[in-house]
Amino acid sequence: MNLGVKDIRFNLTRFLLTSAGVGVLIMAAIGMLGLYRGIVFDALLIIDHVGADLWVVQGGRAGPFAEGSAISSTMDRRVEGLPGVMEVRRFVQTNQQFEFQGRSLRATLTGLDYPKDTGNWITLVRGRGLTTGHFEAIADASVDVDIGDVIRLGQDDYTIVGITRGMVDSLGDGLLFVTVNDATKIAERRTGEEVLLSRAKTGVQRAAAGDGSSVPQDSKIAAVLVSLDPAADPARIMSMILHWGDANVLSRTNEEDLLLNKRLWRLRVQILAFCAVLLVVMTIVISLIIYMMTIEKLHQIAMLKLIGARNSVIISLIVQQAALIGVGGFGMGVGLAYVIFPYFPRRVVLAPDDLAMMFVAVAVISGLASLIGIFRAMKVHAQEVLS
Amino acid sequence: MSDQPILSMRNATKRYQSGDSVISALDGISLDIMPGELVGIFGPSGSGKSTMLLIAGLLEPPTGGEVLIGGERVSWPDAELDHLRNFRRQHIGFVFQKANLIPYLTALENVAIALEIDDVPPKPAHAYAAELLRNLDLAHRIDNRPRKLSGGEQQRVSIARAIANDPYLILADEPTAALDSVRGRQVMELFRRIATERRAAVVVVTHDHRSEDLFDRTIELADGKIVELKGGVNKPAVPVNCAVSHRSCLPGG
Repeated sequence: MNLGVKDIRFNLTRFLLTSAGVGVLIMAAIGMLGLYRGIVFDALLIIDHVGADLWVVQGGRAGPFAEGSAISSTMDRRVEGLPGVMEVRRFVQTNQQFEFQGRSLRATLTGLDYPKDTGNWITLVRGRGLTTGHFEAIADASVDVDIGDVIRLGQDDYTIVGITRGMVDSLGDGLLFVTVNDATKIAERRTGEEVLLSRAKTGVQRAAAGDGSSVPQDSKIAAVLVSLDPAADPARIMSMILHWGDANVLSRTNEEDLLLNKRLWRLRVQILAFCAVLLVVMTIVISLIIYMMTIEKLHQIAMLKLIGARNSVIISLIVQQAALIGVGGFGMGVGLAYVIFPYFPRRVVLAPDDLAMMFVAVAVISGLASLIGIFRAMKVHAQEVLS
Repeated sequence: MSDQPILSMRNATKRYQSGDSVISALDGISLDIMPGELVGIFGPSGSGKSTMLLIAGLLEPPTGGEVLIGGERVSWPDAELDHLRNFRRQHIGFVFQKANLIPYLTALENVAIALEIDDVPPKPAHAYAAELLRNLDLAHRIDNRPRKLSGGEQQRVSIARAIANDPYLILADEPTAALDSVRGRQVMELFRRIATERRAAVVVVTHDHRSEDLFDRTIELADGKIVELKGGVNKPAVPVNCAVSHRSCLPGG
């Protein structure tokens, strides 16, 4: 006779509510782990998808994600001339806030070096890629604009021609792809007052800056993305670029390491710490539930001992209930996670390996919790049935 | 076993330390209870009735003397009684004032659990439990949980559970205290039947003198001592009768 299951069937509502409570805790722990994975995924999204072997950035800096980086606008031509380099693309990325239909929206403006890069590495859910050098944009759905919408960036209007999903930067802002030239133009926008102050400070007149502007402009190109010939030696090319002195060069692995282990290190540790705290809370709550369930059954346990039940019968009763609460809670937690997390503003990755790990954690916690119940049950004497 | 006592207490003593004083709950009790005998233990509150039952039921060891069940010395001062759980399961049945039924089990399951704990497979355990309940006029309550049963019905289920493993000693502590006189009488008649038909020794601790006529013997306790003994002649023994349920009547029993 399976006493644990019979008790649960008899008190089904209470069991379901208990499992739901545990399930919400498990969902929160899964969410924390998923948020951690999501942040890592988002941080590496561009690096993994853009398909560059090397990133040439400003000398002495570790840009463009870990630090600011501004390189000469002609750096791409210098890199292109190196033996073993198959293709180069300029890279610009800046955060942008803009007004649209009375709403203030945020996006991370990312430049595509059109026509070399039409964004064919970007997965579109609707629309098309860029087909002209100016005034077209591909937006992530999280930016909250749609195909055909015309948004004003800088001093120009841009038409949304394609929509992506899940393309965000490490802070969760949706990516808005335009051509590098457009991105540079948008980033260079100055107010009239800013121009006047700059002219007054330097004393130069119109066109004195030599680039058609009376105001000195920093380059907005953050990096040059380098694709190598399959036969090329990356270390040799990196060494050559480093010898120039005004440029630094990072491999894809370097960029990933900088993002994950430098820029996002504290955030990652913080999320994992919260996850650990949740697991501790979960352990306490499940232990308390099992302990209370055991306390409620002390009279029955005494009765079972009185009629000669072996310890294995009583242990089985406690372990079964702890296991059913653990499994039930885990099932509800995972179910809730799949239903709720897609509506969260940041990406929550529900990786099968993480879920398996969480299941093991819940099993261990339930096991520990049942030990507390078993310890208490073993102290019950048969004569307590008279109390 | 018919020639030797089922329960023997030899100079059983129980003393508790209470602060600086020692309370003597049981003071050198000696008695033998034979198969098929229904014995009533009477006495005022605090006379040691329940303590005697706890010691006889191997739930507490005596502080002096010894207890023999079926001729086997099973309890003495400082005896480790938890190890006697198997012995208790096979040889002693308990009935208390409260039925102590498991609330999430049906009447049938509450009886069958005692058999399953003793390694009887579920199917014959349920069949025998059903037969026991039918013999106690509870056929219509087999699938009911305790909360649907009256106090008398609950007590009869607890008696069915107590006799399920065919123990040769049944100990009952105030089994009729929570019942009205009619139900109380029915329960005492049931004990009489069990003692007579199953050849079990039945010891009933009670305040209720109304069913005294059913006992073979009565023992009056006061201050932990036997102060009066009445009777002493066993009712005629009858052979095991499968018509009134006995576990030996189970297939292979």
